[in-house]
Amino acid sequence: MNSAFTTWKWRKTLREVRRSRQQLQRREQLRWTLKEQRRNMRNATKQQGKRVRNMKKESESKSESDSAPESKDNQAVGVLGSLTPEELEKLKEAVDERKKLIATMRGKPWPMKKKLVVLSCVLSQGVTGVFIISFLYYSNCQKWMKFQRDFENFKTACIPWEMKIKEIESHFGSSVASYFIFLRWMYGINMILFGLTFGLVMVPEALMGKPYGSIPRKTVPREEEASAMNFAILWDFGGYAKYSVLFYGYYNSQRAIGWLKFRLPLSYFLVGVGTVAYSYMVVIRTMARNANEEGGGDDTSFNFSWKTFTSWDYLIGNPETADNKFASITTSFKEAIVEEQESRKDDNIHLTRFLRVLANFLVLCCLAGSGYLIYFVVRRSQKFALLGLENYGWWERNEVNMVMSLLGMFCPMLFDVISTLENYHPRVALQWQLGRIFALFLGNLYTFIIALMDAIQLKRAEEEIVKKNMTIWQANLYNGTVPDNSTAPPITVHPADIPRGPCWETMVGQEFVRLIISDTMTTYITLLIGDFLRAVLVRFLNNCWCWDLEYGFPSYSEFDVSGNVLGLIFNQGMIWMGAFYAPCLPALNLLRLHVSMYLQCWAVMCCNVPQERVFKASGSNNFYMAMLLVILFLSTLPAIYTIVSIPPSFDCGPFSGKTRMFDVIQETLESDFPAWFGKMFSYASNPGLVLPFLLLLVLAIYYLQSTSKTYKRVNMELKKKLQTVSWEVQMYVQMSPTVND
Amino acid sequence: MVSPAIALAFLPLLLTMIIRYRYYFVLLYRAVLIRWVRDCLTGLSREERAFQYILTHATPGDAQSILDTFDHWCSKVEFISHIGPKKGKILDRLLQEHCPITVLELGTHCGYSTVRIARSLPIGARIYSVEMDERNAQVAEKIIRLAGFDEDMVELIVRPSDEVIPRLREDFGVERLDLVFMDHWKRCYLPDLQLLEGSGLLGEGSIILADNVIFPGAPNFLRHARRSGLYEVRVHRATLEYIRGIRDGMAELTFLGIK
Repeated sequence: MNSAFTTWKWRKTLREVRRSRQQLQRREQLRWTLKEQRRNMRNATKQQGKRVRNMKKESESKSESDSAPESKDNQAVGVLGSLTPEELEKLKEAVDERKKLIATMRGKPWPMKKKLVVLSCVLSQGVTGVFIISFLYYSNCQKWMKFQRDFENFKTACIPWEMKIKEIESHFGSSVASYFIFLRWMYGINMILFGLTFGLVMVPEALMGKPYGSIPRKTVPREEEASAMNFAILWDFGGYAKYSVLFYGYYNSQRAIGWLKFRLPLSYFLVGVGTVAYSYMVVIRTMARNANEEGGGDDTSFNFSWKTFTSWDYLIGNPETADNKFASITTSFKEAIVEEQESRKDDNIHLTRFLRVLANFLVLCCLAGSGYLIYFVVRRSQKFALLGLENYGWWERNEVNMVMSLLGMFCPMLFDVISTLENYHPRVALQWQLGRIFALFLGNLYTFIIALMDAIQLKRAEEEIVKKNMTIWQANLYNGTVPDNSTAPPITVHPADIPRGPCWETMVGQEFVRLIISDTMTTYITLLIGDFLRAVLVRFLNNCWCWDLEYGFPSYSEFDVSGNVLGLIFNQGMIWMGAFYAPCLPALNLLRLHVSMYLQCWAVMCCNVPQERVFKASGSNNFYMAMLLVILFLSTLPAIYTIVSIPPSFDCGPFSGKTRMFDVIQETLESDFPAWFGKMFSYASNPGLVLPFLLLLVLAIYYLQSTSKTYKRVNMELKKKLQTVSWEVQMYVQMSPTVND
Repeated sequence: MVSPAIALAFLPLLLTMIIRYRYYFVLLYRAVLIRWVRDCLTGLSREERAFQYILTHATPGDAQSILDTFDHWCSKVEFISHIGPKKGKILDRLLQEHCPITVLELGTHCGYSTVRIARSLPIGARIYSVEMDERNAQVAEKIIRLAGFDEDMVELIVRPSDEVIPRLREDFGVERLDLVFMDHWKRCYLPDLQLLEGSGLLGEGSIILADNVIFPGAPNFLRHARRSGLYEVRVHRATLEYIRGIRDGMAELTFLGIK
């Protein structure tokens, strides 16, 4: 079954284009025919209404011209006489019903308007427009309901990529789809972050700040000018890319810019803090919401019977949708079977425990080995850096990167193989796998941060030297002119010639951007080679190979949920770490996620096969959130440390000239707010006030935690009680026929 | 130039490959390395060694004893790839259900499967067994006679299968084949199937049983069987004979008849 399924999938991409075109045409035709029908119906009702009105008008006019009252009756009799006796009966019944309805309405204690609206809504469901009491309210009520329906449809249609994810879910199960849902959620967060950094930091500086070339920090230095436009330099984010709004160093430290008096340094600082605060809030809110949904447990009986008899959707008319529905029902059966198997497993506890301990020991050995290898390689690269990197070839310069990416690719495979010893439920096994790869990637993170800290220290030492040289250079500049204080004109030097310090913040930003780009490239290339090329080879070499490639050794790859989820989470961690020093990072990440979504959706449907054990992933959502929270915490720590403890560069960035970056807050409080505000703030930030407040928060958390535990316990007890009551009722019902006999 | 660190980084990959494909390495060792060593040492072919072992350890005339000895030899001493005990049970069940009268077997090799089929057949049934290789056919003949099946029951034909099938009707007077058992070269499954279709020897309800369709695998054969609409396909999943851990399957095709 597998090979037919995969070959069918392989041809899907060609068939899809043709089918979707046909579908579109068919849908258009359907829509036109439906529109026609609706128009005809509307016309019919209008005509009926017109006929009734005309009849009334005729009768009225006739009655006016014909003053005798009998003529009206004659008219009415004439109209009524044209109907058969059955129709007369029906009319009489309908009229009686309406009278009853109106009588009940009259009895209710509602305002008149409400009564009229309710009446017209009730009436409008049956008849096509002849016995209408208040046409205005009827049409308004209908229009409102229609508007609400359309709005709901619009809101569902606005959710991006929904059909794609549903299709993937129907073929691959909810675990693979959960990755894509997570990706989409990340995209939403990055959209907000991008909005903040772009709108409040990059755009004001670009529009209202000083233009390129006006001050030294905004100009490419003279030495670099020749190569500033080279593609290689630009790809490395040097040259013109370095001296632009993309990085920290471009921003001016002027307190208020433009006609709006926009406080750029304050905005920069607050956007940095706000990014982190927003991320925390969103993650914790999502965790809380997921916990709410999980709260009610599933104690369904007759699970498989429900699935067998109620799964099919009889409204499906499209063959492709029917295929997808078939695949999704099969997948859900497989998931249910796995759940059932797991709940029934009869195991030898001691052997299982021993194997699990052994597996964890092996994994720890592997992690320790890789950690030591990375440490060794970083030490070697530091040695190379001291001796000068030019003496060594490409291998030595990129040794650290190579070793880290190789370990990142191979160790997860080893963990996967070791985890077959443990014999867990697939969902639990996935969580363990995620945890282990997390520990591995933390090693990478640790080395990256160590390397960065070393580089920052180097740059700061360089900066001291440059500061000293600056005074000598300035003295030399004025040496040639007459030392006359008042009448000597200030010597104008082109900004490109002024010596400037090595801006360590821009260097940090550049490192992060380079890391993100290389990580993205690695992911895409691995995807293309590991998945796509492999699938092409298996598909076309199978005809002339001695064993069956599809079932046997290479076969098609499975979608690696854990690796991809962790890649996403660590990527986001890098963004959070670096967004303060490179405001362009959220924009870059947004682009990357957008491309990833389309590329990975295509790759999954084209090159991957479903896993053998498909399981429900609803429980993993909170696990991903928990890991994201940990990474958020870990990645904001270094950023906060550098902000608080390292002084900013003296000649670049919005905080140049200050002793610490957060001095901008103090400055704003002093100059922009009234005096009493500053005093109040200083009282509020007194440690004597802050510590008791923190203590109070801790106690509140403890209290809320204990109450939620009690509520959960009470919930479970109620559920059990409900179950016992229903069983008792069943027993009673079963026994009662015998009692009656 | 290439530092030891980068070489060490490949160690997890090596370990993963070894652990994941350990059964294939075991198979390689048993089927290829040991056979090569013994060939050099004794000078006999593998089938002749098997025959000598059976001669010394099995009771003649008793088909079950011969099959058991064969199984013992293949699992403990060396490895021969024919239908093993587990898949053999599926074959036995099929034979009991359908009781075929005329059976065609492509690929006798040592005669294990011939003996297995012959002992479940009713009296009056006949097996035509086709083997291409001369030496294997001789060994197979000896084993089949040792098991007690005579010329009436088993007919051994020593020619390539694509020559035999078109001439079955003329040379041997076969009108209809009830069961066809394929266990020869996997590449030949599809051509032989097409020859059988063309020759008109298959009737409605004829069963074709093809061994090892998953490992080493016969993807073209399976694809043709599923797409042509002439057969009802069922793949029995099991493990490769005498080795655990490598998955394999037997395809059972029921001919539906040309409409």
